[in-house]
Amino acid sequence: MKNRIWFCFGFLFLVAVSLSFCTLATGPVWVSWPDFFSALFAGPSAEVGADSITSQIIWRLRVPRMCAAVLAGTSLSVAGLALQTVFCNPLAGPFVLGISSGASLGVALSLLAGFSFGNFGVLGAAAVGASAVTIIVMWVSGRFRNVGVLLIVGLLLGYLIDAIVSVLIAGSEAEALRVYVTWSMGSFGRMLLDGVWVFALAVAAGLGLVVVSMRYLNAARLGDDFARGLGVRVEVSKKCVLLGASILAAACTAFCGPVAFVGIAVPHLAFMLFKTTDHRVLVPGAALCGTVLCLLAGLFPVSIPLNAVLSIVGVPVVFYVLVRGSRTGWW
Amino acid sequence: MAYGVLLKCENLCVGYGAVRPKRGAERPLSLFEPFSFELHAGEVVALMGVNGCGKSTLLKTFAGLVPQVSGDVFLDGEPLQAWNARERARRVGLVRMSGTAPDRMTVREFVGLGRSPYSGFLDGRTAEDERIVDDAMQATDVACFAERPFTELSDGERSRVFLAEAVAQQVNVLLLDEPNAFLDIPRSHALFRLLKKFVGMREMGIIVSTHSIEYAEKYCDRIAVIDGGCFRVAPASEARTLGLLDWARDE
Repeated sequence: MKNRIWFCFGFLFLVAVSLSFCTLATGPVWVSWPDFFSALFAGPSAEVGADSITSQIIWRLRVPRMCAAVLAGTSLSVAGLALQTVFCNPLAGPFVLGISSGASLGVALSLLAGFSFGNFGVLGAAAVGASAVTIIVMWVSGRFRNVGVLLIVGLLLGYLIDAIVSVLIAGSEAEALRVYVTWSMGSFGRMLLDGVWVFALAVAAGLGLVVVSMRYLNAARLGDDFARGLGVRVEVSKKCVLLGASILAAACTAFCGPVAFVGIAVPHLAFMLFKTTDHRVLVPGAALCGTVLCLLAGLFPVSIPLNAVLSIVGVPVVFYVLVRGSRTGWW
Repeated sequence: MAYGVLLKCENLCVGYGAVRPKRGAERPLSLFEPFSFELHAGEVVALMGVNGCGKSTLLKTFAGLVPQVSGDVFLDGEPLQAWNARERARRVGLVRMSGTAPDRMTVREFVGLGRSPYSGFLDGRTAEDERIVDDAMQATDVACFAERPFTELSDGERSRVFLAEAVAQQVNVLLLDEPNAFLDIPRSHALFRLLKKFVGMREMGIIVSTHSIEYAEKYCDRIAVIDGGCFRVAPASEARTLGLLDWARDE
């Protein structure tokens, strides 16, 4: 059992590294190998002579793209895993809490209704919207002990926000609408090198909040009373996990748009690969699976919407794993 | 027979609404009269009474899952609420048969959860933990299906796995809520024999709620009865003559 886990980790890590390399080395513009390596090792600030274009391509486009894919894969998968565990529901994911709907509302208000969010533009608008919904969700989670209520509130908020967005869409200009629709399709290409640190910090904070609740996550499937009997401080841990998952989902939606598929599917993929319910294995395992899937999707041409690629690549993979899993009696 | 007092309660009043009284209710609902009781190491106490008399609530109160309405509960000499959650979980465990079945979890993983109160920050397991889990599975006769998924087990097998988890938790005070509800007759006898063995070997005190007078009289040291709003307790051999079992007559 232990060997299997280490083998999976090693394999996924190697795949992730080689896919990262492919992300850096390939693209619409072909860069020769010597130029590629010299630009890569010269660092982001080197802009000397003929190398400057290559350097720009590598450091302004491909490195942020790779970082966006890795961070998005990690954040969405871990958020999805944590929420599925807390809600004891295999259909839960970052989207059911309405967080990405909140981000969409922020972006819609900014692009379609002309609200300005200072100098932060679309990114700031998404972050404000996602945070607002997160605050509402956390407030509700404090008032109701039953997590099922939270699920319903998240879905209802999502519906309400979708309705507001569609009202905004109906009254908006064609150009603004085009920008909004492009945002809503999701992309790793909007990432800027300066933004990577912000994204990485948000992901680190969210991961930290999930990881400190490890004992709760492992017992959560048995119900709150059982977890309490094991000496887990359920109320505190649950808030930590929900806040962590919200931060992860909000950050990802702000930087990459509403990427739907990863959060709900990857936790199942991780279960089938690692065949354990120990979250010490599942959290890094799901993060790696999500990273691999996002890097793979990121290799497709930019002109195809990310959400479409993720579903086209991801659904057959997850479906195959599920069918195989059911044959070996694991479902 | 008795070594030391593991669990003690004084003027304990058990019920609901101690923290947040429901609107309309003037004061918290208490289920029966205040009582005092001591559980000693090395004894098995049967807890009996009609459905809804408060057996489960009493066990939950002893486990610290439901706050008492009034009175005091002491665990190892300290007030129950003074223990932090993890320290308490190393000393008292409640086994219920009606828990949700966790999907995708193997029996070994489930029993391993019993080591959670002892684990560190990241819920790691040491070789010592693994050995204790193995011992617990041996003792409760579940080792033969350790790698099977929990959801595939029969009700009787699940009962033993729930018990194994509490044994792995290495508690001094073990509280069992109708452990033989799903067990056949031979397995029920085996379970109560096992409980007797545990209190002898591991210096535990056990409170077990059951509807079976036969097992209570045969295997338990004392019988506690909640009847007509009163909590009464007597040695198992005298319970019948003292009239503690009168509530069970069909009239």
